[in-house]
Amino acid sequence: MNVRSQVSMVFHLDKCIGCHTCSIACKNVWTDRKGTEYMWWNNVETKPGTGYPTKWEDQEKYKGGWRTNGNGQLEIRSTGRARVVPNIFHNPHMPSLDDYYEPWTYDYQNLFNAPEGSDQPTAMPISRITGEELDIQSGPNWDDDLGGSPIYAANDPNLAGLTEQQRQQLGSVERLVFFYLPRICNHCLNPCCVASCPSGALYKRGEDGIVLIDQQRCRAWRSCVAACPYKKTYFNWFTGKSEKCILCFPRLETGQAPACFHSCVGRIRYLGVLLYDADRLEEVARLPDDRLVEGQRSLILDPFDPAVIAAAEKNGVPESVIDAAQRSPVYQFVMKWKIALPPHIEYRTLPMLFYVPPMSPVLANRENDTIHHATDNLFHEIDNARVPMKFLANLLGGGHEGVVRYALAKQMAVRWHRRAETVGDVDREAVERLLRAADCTADEADAIFKLTALCTFEDRFVIPPMCREQAIEMMKDPHEHRQEAGFGFVGGPRRGL
Amino acid sequence: MKPLSRRLSSPKRHLPLKTPLQRAHRRDHTLSALWDLGCGGSPASAPARRQRSFSVRLGLAGVAIWAATWIWPAGVLAQDTPDYFRQNCMNCHTIGGGRLTGPDLKDVTQRKDRAWLVNFMVNPKAVIDSGDAYARKILEESRNVPMPTLPGLNKDRAERLLDLIEAESKLPESQFKGLQISQEPFTDADRQRGRAIFLGHVRLEAGGAACISCHTMHDTPALGGGRLGPDLTNVFERLKGRKSISAWLMAPGTETMLPIFKNHPIRAAEIHALTAYFEASASESPAEPAADRVTFLLTGLAGAVALVFGLDAIWKHRFHSVRRTLVDQASMRGRR
Repeated sequence: MNVRSQVSMVFHLDKCIGCHTCSIACKNVWTDRKGTEYMWWNNVETKPGTGYPTKWEDQEKYKGGWRTNGNGQLEIRSTGRARVVPNIFHNPHMPSLDDYYEPWTYDYQNLFNAPEGSDQPTAMPISRITGEELDIQSGPNWDDDLGGSPIYAANDPNLAGLTEQQRQQLGSVERLVFFYLPRICNHCLNPCCVASCPSGALYKRGEDGIVLIDQQRCRAWRSCVAACPYKKTYFNWFTGKSEKCILCFPRLETGQAPACFHSCVGRIRYLGVLLYDADRLEEVARLPDDRLVEGQRSLILDPFDPAVIAAAEKNGVPESVIDAAQRSPVYQFVMKWKIALPPHIEYRTLPMLFYVPPMSPVLANRENDTIHHATDNLFHEIDNARVPMKFLANLLGGGHEGVVRYALAKQMAVRWHRRAETVGDVDREAVERLLRAADCTADEADAIFKLTALCTFEDRFVIPPMCREQAIEMMKDPHEHRQEAGFGFVGGPRRGL
Repeated sequence: MKPLSRRLSSPKRHLPLKTPLQRAHRRDHTLSALWDLGCGGSPASAPARRQRSFSVRLGLAGVAIWAATWIWPAGVLAQDTPDYFRQNCMNCHTIGGGRLTGPDLKDVTQRKDRAWLVNFMVNPKAVIDSGDAYARKILEESRNVPMPTLPGLNKDRAERLLDLIEAESKLPESQFKGLQISQEPFTDADRQRGRAIFLGHVRLEAGGAACISCHTMHDTPALGGGRLGPDLTNVFERLKGRKSISAWLMAPGTETMLPIFKNHPIRAAEIHALTAYFEASASESPAEPAADRVTFLLTGLAGAVALVFGLDAIWKHRFHSVRRTLVDQASMRGRR
């Protein structure tokens, strides 16, 4: 057992209101520089929708992530030993700027400086790359701006396997439904971006599992851009280096939650440490699609197990980190309650950001200006939800409905239970039956309720001490390091070696 | 390397030397002395000598090759007068073989005085332009083809050439009587072989370049022949028959052809075949260059189009813009 620690995340989609505050917080802190205008390390997508970059989930086009070959071995879809040399001057499957969007601002100066005329002056959109006037074709949250568009939403790759009727229902006005999917780098256990980098510029930090790009070693190959199936590495055209979400490690190291977590209005974000067994990574990443979710869970170790604690201490995981792992809200959602699921685990990168699948309104249809609901129950059956189970399974279950159904059933049981507790107008026995069917107890339901609805800052963010001093001590004399760190000495990344 | 070996064995090599040719001799002498040293001139004991001699020989072989390449131009300058005559004069003249383009040179020294001849040989154009009557007469007899100014033909060499012509004129049968052209009638096989040689399907025995590299014919296929030299369809008429064509082919005299065929002469059998081919084509009209150019252009265009579509087919599954494709498809559906 090779025990390591990983800072992991849970996003509770049932709570997300799609306000984009997280995106703005991130943009203001990290990507307001030249060359990063189009980057959104954190973005919020509207589902069904094609997301950002457009249709990033369509790996037939983008060739991101891993696949298993004939021998059951893992291989990177976008590149490989034989494919590096023939494609050395042209990295294929690279999203173009049009697939992201051409970043723009508005010509506000024109409002003040326009020559006198018969019309009110306007602020025309201008490109932030060329400075020319721009006809806006798409944006970073285009699905939100044009929600339900037959161009975009109808092409969501997660609609695969849905019947024609289900597709039409999703698009028709009375049954229209959408939910939000905030996305940051998943800081995967088996990161494809790291594996694809020819320069060895990407690495996964040993002490907390954060995946980073060394700006000094990046040589602009952009293999990571093609390889990451979530399209969460971006190429900075100005510095000639790739960049990605750094999970605000400077904030984490000083005990603060990352900017997007901290600013989240809906309080949907949870952060905590998980311990995992690094020896079994490859074995799990090669499992067939329907066993991947279970396989990933089997990697995550119980922080209360004395054997795990002993192995962790032997491996140099500090006691304070083990303590944080025992209090981790992520462990509760992912392992104890099993209601948080990894996105697109079929890409086999083993993402360490988990989503609690969202509940959605009950199905309805319209007759003579009257809308009839499929059921009159206060909380409807999960199979009568407007978002088809298959859609959520494609997104969060690797195409298999079982784990998604389990998570939704448990959430539904918690609602019935809390209704019985607080209002008391429902049959207590029926609630008990529902709880049993959802593999849940009353205590567990209360705990889920508490961490979902009444969570405090400290409940949501259990930030472990990063113990950077220990990591630095391994590399060099801490006194020497102290003299090299600080403001004013380190130059920014720039083109060239 | 024949001149070198001859000079190595020359008994005169110990004499004081002055001319460039003789300086080359001296270098050879030094070389042979070195060779002697490496190959057994030294009194060292036998095993040591054997061991050393291999490396010394190897080194000397290298020096010899270097020296030979260095000396070679000097050797060429010292071309014997008969060689010079064969390479530069024989395509237009014979000695006792009758006139070709230029007159038969047998007893030319008796027809005209030496000073005039030397003057004419060194700069024919100047003499013709000066309005000299005899020179005019020769020009007319030569169908107005003036004698070219030959490289390396100075007064000294002209004198030597005249000596040679005088000596050869006295012989009953000069070696420069010219090519003995067979009078056999041309057969179809000859003509076909000539065509094959022209097109380069059959190699010239001595390794000369195929005619098609610079010339074209009325029936040269597809992209046509070279455009550096003239179209040879009617060359048989232009050069007035079998004899002069054969003489030309034996030692082509233009600035372009001379260096190519000087060391790779065309053999008699090949000349026979080529002449047969030229004779057969004499009645045809030359290839239409404009039509050829259109063919060339069209072939090029077709090739380019095939290449573009071929590459597009090979990389059919390459990455295209995702969003743009999506929008285009949707707008096409909308129009339908």
